[in-house]
Amino acid sequence: MDSSARERPGPRRGGASPPLRSAPGSHREGEMEDGICKQEMLQKKNAVLVDGVVLNGPIMDSKAGEKFVEEACNIIMEKVIQKADDVTEKVCEWQDPETLKQILDLEMRDAGESHQKLLQLCQDVIQYSVKTSHPRFFNQLYAGIDYYSLVARFITEALNPSVYTYEVSPVFLLVEEAVIKKMIEFIGWEEGDGIFNPGGSVSNMYAMNLARYKFCPEIKEKGLSGLPRLVLFTSEECHYSMKKAASFLGIGTENVYFIKADERGKMIPEELEKQVQRARKEGSAPFLVCATAGTTVLGAFDPLDKIADICEKHGLWLHVDASWGGSALISRKHCRLLHGIHRADSVAWNPHKMLLAGIQCCALLVKDNSGLLKKCYSAKAAYLFQQDKFYDVSYDTGDKSIQCSRRPDAFKFWLMWKALGTTGLEERVNRALALARYLVEEIKKREGFQLLLEPEYANVCFWYIPPSLRKMEDGPEFWQKLHQVSCHISSVICSLLIYLYAR
Amino acid sequence: MAESSWLERPGLDKAAGEEFLREAFQVLLDEAVRKGTDVTEKVCDWKEPQELRELLDLELRSSGELPERLLERCRDVIRYSVKTCHPRFFNQLFSGLDHHALAGRLITETLNTSQYTYEIAPVFVLMEEVVLAKLRELVGWSSGDGIFCPGGSISNMYAMNVARFHHFPESRQKGSWALPRLALFTSRESHYSIQKGAAFLGIGTDNVHLVGTDERGKMIPEELEKEIQRVKAEGAKPFFVCATCGTTVLGAFDPLDGIADICQRHGLWFHVDAAWGGSALLSSKHRHLLTGIERADSVAWNPHKMLTVGLQCSAFLLRDTSGLLQRCHGAGATYLFQPDKFYDVTYDTGDKTLQCGRRVDCLKLWLLWKAAGTEGLARRVERAFAYTRYLAKEVKRRDGFQLVLEPEFINLCFWFVPPSLRGREGSPDYWPRLGKVAPAIKERMMRKGSMMVGYQPHGARVNFFRQIVTNPTVTKDDLDFFLDEIERLGQDL
Repeated sequence: MDSSARERPGPRRGGASPPLRSAPGSHREGEMEDGICKQEMLQKKNAVLVDGVVLNGPIMDSKAGEKFVEEACNIIMEKVIQKADDVTEKVCEWQDPETLKQILDLEMRDAGESHQKLLQLCQDVIQYSVKTSHPRFFNQLYAGIDYYSLVARFITEALNPSVYTYEVSPVFLLVEEAVIKKMIEFIGWEEGDGIFNPGGSVSNMYAMNLARYKFCPEIKEKGLSGLPRLVLFTSEECHYSMKKAASFLGIGTENVYFIKADERGKMIPEELEKQVQRARKEGSAPFLVCATAGTTVLGAFDPLDKIADICEKHGLWLHVDASWGGSALISRKHCRLLHGIHRADSVAWNPHKMLLAGIQCCALLVKDNSGLLKKCYSAKAAYLFQQDKFYDVSYDTGDKSIQCSRRPDAFKFWLMWKALGTTGLEERVNRALALARYLVEEIKKREGFQLLLEPEYANVCFWYIPPSLRKMEDGPEFWQKLHQVSCHISSVICSLLIYLYAR
Repeated sequence: MAESSWLERPGLDKAAGEEFLREAFQVLLDEAVRKGTDVTEKVCDWKEPQELRELLDLELRSSGELPERLLERCRDVIRYSVKTCHPRFFNQLFSGLDHHALAGRLITETLNTSQYTYEIAPVFVLMEEVVLAKLRELVGWSSGDGIFCPGGSISNMYAMNVARFHHFPESRQKGSWALPRLALFTSRESHYSIQKGAAFLGIGTDNVHLVGTDERGKMIPEELEKEIQRVKAEGAKPFFVCATCGTTVLGAFDPLDGIADICQRHGLWFHVDAAWGGSALLSSKHRHLLTGIERADSVAWNPHKMLTVGLQCSAFLLRDTSGLLQRCHGAGATYLFQPDKFYDVTYDTGDKTLQCGRRVDCLKLWLLWKAAGTEGLARRVERAFAYTRYLAKEVKRRDGFQLVLEPEFINLCFWFVPPSLRGREGSPDYWPRLGKVAPAIKERMMRKGSMMVGYQPHGARVNFFRQIVTNPTVTKDDLDFFLDEIERLGQDL
């Protein structure tokens, strides 16, 4: 660094400023500037005032701010991290909404609060939040804590980057590229493309739009009005984001044809063939089949090979929503669940689910390597994707996205992978499925528990039948009472789902 | 079974993990937070892509690495990342670091939850409502609806979709193929997400009609009226107008009252993309720029831009109180939004969104607001305006600097004319040569690591710098340095 940049030695932020919040009680950030700094500056007669604002004095006390961050992190360590595996702690500290509103002091006021009050607010937020890292949190398709992913997330929060161009986000862009390449390897493609998205729902929308663009590139400019009716196919067990996607993209929820699933929750290929034929006869334009690898409720895997055959025969884009089940690809023991996935045109895969990468970490992978993703999505904004930069602008991959600013979601997965290695991640998947196997055996052994179906993944679906209902005859009254049992116990759904993680 | 004894042990080494977390946090605090905001450190440590790839050793292998190696990696990642919190990072519409917001972000990461239901995220579901209500209050609405979205582009797309649904409720089921050709209108200075949105939603970029702007980059209402008439005459169906408050390059504010009148007359949905300029609403001195915003049907506003809250924090606000957002997007998935829960399920707001899993974006803004108060945030906004005022004055004063236009917001657009070109405005190659100056200076500043500022061509104008200061720790010295450095780097061009 030449001397022009070294205007004064050492960090100059906040060092000489008086402590911001040394006393409890209400504090005003403005007071610091108005009361102390402005006074001092005006007294020194070298204050630069523009529009009543002092330009050459600090507005923030960095030392106090850093102290706050450190103290907040102590709270995080003590109240969340250290307790993460403590089964004697509660998973949730239930309060009904009206009561919680009173407890939390959510109101946003004109004046700022004191340092101590702010720390207390942090504690309250943590106390009344559900501990998704608790060993007995089984509610959703994510749980647990990975320290490496957490460190990576802390780093990205501190750096606050946006992953649109190499100039602004060199490291995270290259990391994303490397992670996508690795994920593609596990799918079984030699090459491909991809991007990280804010959620599996968004990944599915990307795929739907990409398939539509491939089918008819003109739609990007001309829109759908006046075109033949586009139709897509997905299992009746698919994730609800398919419907939301169809409506958002202008395709229409009526034009999502749901294919029947068998008693194990898997799409029936013969039914798919029937529906495609039906759609053709109607004069509509089938363009996409979305298979699910790991359905949300039952954890079912659609038969990808047979579905791929049908797609090939009819020239349809095959997207595999492997948001939940994709992580099985990392396990040599269990990757057979996704046999045939390499025949897909696109795959959605969320490492934030079974691999504990941290919300959000969702990739859309695309087999095409001809720049289809870019052609479909780019807008070539001149203020961001200038062509006359001094480096190779093909690195500015942000234009492949529907987003402008975008979070570096691949990095936490990368650091975790570096820490654990493929072997470590594989163990994680194997462990989760072994835990599921153990739970299933227990359920079969114990009285009063009834398995819904034999799981092939980590979703264990069962009923708990209380003693009062065990002698009852199977019939509508029995099921109604049983339904209420589940509601009373846990508020989840009429069968309890447990998603197992490596903990 | 051997398998079950393996299962009796936990799968993670907690002690090692916590140790790593503690050490890494120290690295983060020193290298990213302290050094990143230190004016004596570099803004960026430039490396060519191929070289950086090798330095980072990106390959993902089958075995894991030791903590020491991982910590080294953390240091490398921080070192080679651009310090967007540096007082001399002026490149984008966000910069700086607020410690309270950062604490909020770290808590968010640790709690690692999704914001769909009250049962899963009780604190955040309630908090999001309070934060959105506060933003709506500043817009001028005492009631309404809204949600946080992953970015302003998606907020704009929500607006487009809700508007389409409002005009054509059947489009949700039937799709747009059965609708007449839709038309939407926005200024030629608008953000490109309107184009991306139109393509994504199946409306088509050809049906985005760009309305002419004046010499200050503001939409001309008479032109809007003309466009609407023209498009109607062609048989298309206008349904949506997007006005911009704070355009990306020039920082222009469209005249909202004039546009609102036209929307009212034609029965069109009036959306205001205030992703960038919305924060001016916090300042009583400057909120006049958004006069008329309360007449909008929807507003996009990104606190992650001017308020230093951290990516992402983008609010989509709606005036509607009839549950339009829920009707437009709700799918009622039975595994998540069960109607028979033991609490009031109207608190399960997640079904209003397009997403299923959704990050908690409200905590960082809430904590920042609690720390600074509305008044503290207003002061930050006013400070940013004052910086720009000062810079504009300096640019006018200094030789070789030429303002593109007088800023009304905090985008300061100017050319630097090196000595070799001064006085040569008449020569035919003046502009092409001037257009090469900004990229050259940018390259030099990045290789040196002294600062970062953006440039772009715009309409007929060749490359000019677009200076943005939102970082509240920037002072006059940094601004003087900025202009001095451009002079230094461009002297011999």
